Amino acid sequence: MTKRDIIAFVGVAAASTISARAQQRAMPVIGYLGSESPEPYTSRISAFLQGLKESGFTQGHNVAIDFQWAEGKYDRLPALAKYIASRQVAVIVAPGGAEVALAARSATSTIPIVFEMGGDPIALGLVESLSRPGGNLTGVTSLSVEVSHKRLEFLSEFIPTTKTFAVAVNPTSPTSSSQLRNLRTAASDLGLQLHVLNASSEPEIDSMFVAVSQMRMGGLVFTSDPYFAYRSQRLAALAIRHGVPAITQAQDFPIAGGLMSYGGDFQQSHRHTGIYAGRVITGERPSDLPVQRVTKLELFVNLKAANALGIAVPASLLSSADVVIE
Amino acid sequence: MTHSPLAPRSSLFAKYFLALFAAVVLPLLVASGSEAWFGHRDQRARLNDLLNAEARSAAAKIQDFIDGIRDQLAWTVQLPWSDGADDRRRLDAFRLLRQVPAVVSLAFVDASGRERLFVSRIGLNRIEGGAENSLNAALTGLRPGSAGYGPVTFHAGSEPFMTIAVTGNRAAVGIVIAEVNLKLIWDVISAIKVGRTGEAFVLDQPGRLVAHPDISLVLRADKAVTLPLQGLRADILARNGQAVAGRDTTGQTVLAAMAQIPGVDWSVVVKQPAAEAFRPIYAALWRTAALLVGGAAFAAALAYWLTQRMMGPIRLLEDGVARIGAGQFDYRISLATGDEFERLATRFNEMAGDLAVSQERSERIGRLKRFLAPQVAELVDQSGDASVLDGRCMEVVVVFGDLRGFTAFSARAQPETVMSVLSDYYDALDKVVIEHGATLTNFSGDGMMVLLNAPVACSDPALRAIHMAHEMQLSVQSLLRDRSALGHRLGFSVGLAMGPAIVGRIGKEGRLDYTAIGNVVNLASRLCASARDTEILTDMVVAHAVEGQVPLVEQDMRILKGFDQPIQVFSAVNNEISLKQLS
Repeated sequence: MTKRDIIAFVGVAAASTISARAQQRAMPVIGYLGSESPEPYTSRISAFLQGLKESGFTQGHNVAIDFQWAEGKYDRLPALAKYIASRQVAVIVAPGGAEVALAARSATSTIPIVFEMGGDPIALGLVESLSRPGGNLTGVTSLSVEVSHKRLEFLSEFIPTTKTFAVAVNPTSPTSSSQLRNLRTAASDLGLQLHVLNASSEPEIDSMFVAVSQMRMGGLVFTSDPYFAYRSQRLAALAIRHGVPAITQAQDFPIAGGLMSYGGDFQQSHRHTGIYAGRVITGERPSDLPVQRVTKLELFVNLKAANALGIAVPASLLSSADVVIE
Repeated sequence: MTHSPLAPRSSLFAKYFLALFAAVVLPLLVASGSEAWFGHRDQRARLNDLLNAEARSAAAKIQDFIDGIRDQLAWTVQLPWSDGADDRRRLDAFRLLRQVPAVVSLAFVDASGRERLFVSRIGLNRIEGGAENSLNAALTGLRPGSAGYGPVTFHAGSEPFMTIAVTGNRAAVGIVIAEVNLKLIWDVISAIKVGRTGEAFVLDQPGRLVAHPDISLVLRADKAVTLPLQGLRADILARNGQAVAGRDTTGQTVLAAMAQIPGVDWSVVVKQPAAEAFRPIYAALWRTAALLVGGAAFAAALAYWLTQRMMGPIRLLEDGVARIGAGQFDYRISLATGDEFERLATRFNEMAGDLAVSQERSERIGRLKRFLAPQVAELVDQSGDASVLDGRCMEVVVVFGDLRGFTAFSARAQPETVMSVLSDYYDALDKVVIEHGATLTNFSGDGMMVLLNAPVACSDPALRAIHMAHEMQLSVQSLLRDRSALGHRLGFSVGLAMGPAIVGRIGKEGRLDYTAIGNVVNLASRLCASARDTEILTDMVVAHAVEGQVPLVEQDMRILKGFDQPIQVFSAVNNEISLKQLS
């Protein structure tokens, strides 16, 4: 051994102990895959952090969160998911819809993934069964997708004189076809006519509202889709501007001035996602954690919007509504 | 030096220590042991009661959850059906859905079993759906005014649901059938805390998990996972509802108790980690153990102290006795224990004192015996007045005896023979001296000096001295007669005189002689020297003193060395010796 060798050897040894110590100290990292930007996610993230805390983890204290945002461009999700997977995170959290969950699943089959979405994860091929997810995925599903037809029912109850309603569908959404099928069945049961309008971009949404107001249809029923949910502010503004009675899945819509919303409580679903993420970090396997379904469905009615549209709110809706905005 | 006695086979220290230690520790052990045993038993019983109470309370909460739903349902079935659509009932249904989150859907069935109204959170509402609903399990055996519960079913193999059917108090008002999502019991079950970390869970009749604080266990709907929980329930049932110890799903040892919910036939089991449940018991046991150890340590210290207190004086006494026994009579055992030991030490000290006095006396007697006849010595000693030995002037009779021809004999004879002759000679004279209560003051070679009337006064010393002289002559002459056969020519002469002399102890400590000094001594010595074999010569004083009592023959005046005037000398006639001489 030459002198230089010894110095090099000592250096390597020192570096390896330092890195080992650094690893020991290193906090587990959660890879958080968001479909939009942080702003529309704010309330969801706080619910998520709340759930994480219930499992014993506090961001920055004993867990780090690596947020990656697709900024509304869902085609960027798979690349972002792969990037997160390459960072060797302890768990990937994929909230906000089937697209995100599918992107995460395609990125890794080993890193645990906790999803949050509407719709049936079995039909989407994410898990084998609710009780035994099987692979590296588990998560929380809201009932928003399942209750699309209830939105049609509520809107027709609101406007009983009209038999024709428009349905807003995002054709790029993995659940759009199942929701549409569901809606068509309901429409025939209720004796209604449906007019399907596709919208997967902002200009399409604009033109959709123009179309609805021009065709003088009873109202616009939005299918459950995160793309619509995160744009509740814009949808409400358009609904007001065009005088369109509309119902979406997200409570943000009536709060922003829209008429109604009916969907799963996303606070609950994101909180449970946080709880599951924490449990996965503490070592539980996703395959042992059954997929949870949100129990709470909320009906929001904005009376001000109803007045502006010149519609009297029926007593059945008032007694059904969980929140009435006056 | 005192030599230590042999070590005893078993020490008093060990005996006393063990006895004292056992006296404290054994009762303590028995008391603590029984206390611990009874305490443990009572605590176990208390724990059992406590857990059973917790189980009943938990069951009451679950029961309240179900009863709450049932009561809510009850007010929707009060009015009979009209023919047309019943708008009011529809509003009631919507309100109920809003108020009872656990109810997923409601179906109203009229008296004929036809579904009149169906409202749901997820599915579409139906009015006058008309579907036959009499096959629902919740309806079987339902009487008017009562509620029925269907079995627990797991939707999509995951979420537990149950149907509750409530009938109106009249058959005409029909039945309401609610589908209840049992996941919502989670709010109730997770709020139940047993102790600090204990929790409750609910099993339905077939043993499926209906509610658990960890909702994922329920949603898994996995019989294998809930097997330990069913085991707990089976154990409790087997032990008549007593709390049992067992393992839960995580393998942790828990203590579990159970209460039944009658209507739905569910079991509400509460469990508490055994470590937590038994903590007070263990704490009590630890306290008892600590007390025991502390008590034992105290007992050991006390026993050691007491035993040391006992052993110290005993050792001191032992040592003291050994020293006194070895003759250290001035040694004193100093003990100030204030008890029997001190008294014993005092006794020993007194004994040592007595022994010292006794030994001193025997030593003194021994000393006296050297120059006093034993009787005289005893007398002097008993009188306790050694002052009789002090120098004083007394009227004494001094008797000298001398072997004739001894110098020539000792030059010729073997030293052994000389010693033997001298020894016999001394023995013979000593005996006579003792017999006559005289005091042998001096032996030197073949000569001897005997005193009468000193140190102890005696009656008629002169006569006594002459009798003694005769005896001396008799015994010595018979001794010499035996010896003469061996060819030794030895004789014996005696001289005695009476008069005042200074008598007393002369010399220094350890080498004391009792003797007499005075003219009378010289005179007696000169008379002895002047006497022939077998002859006894006296001076005039003696002759006068014994005049008429023993026959004396007056001799010619003799010039004696050291005397200016010739001395009147008398010879004591001894017929026996004369006869022997003649023969």
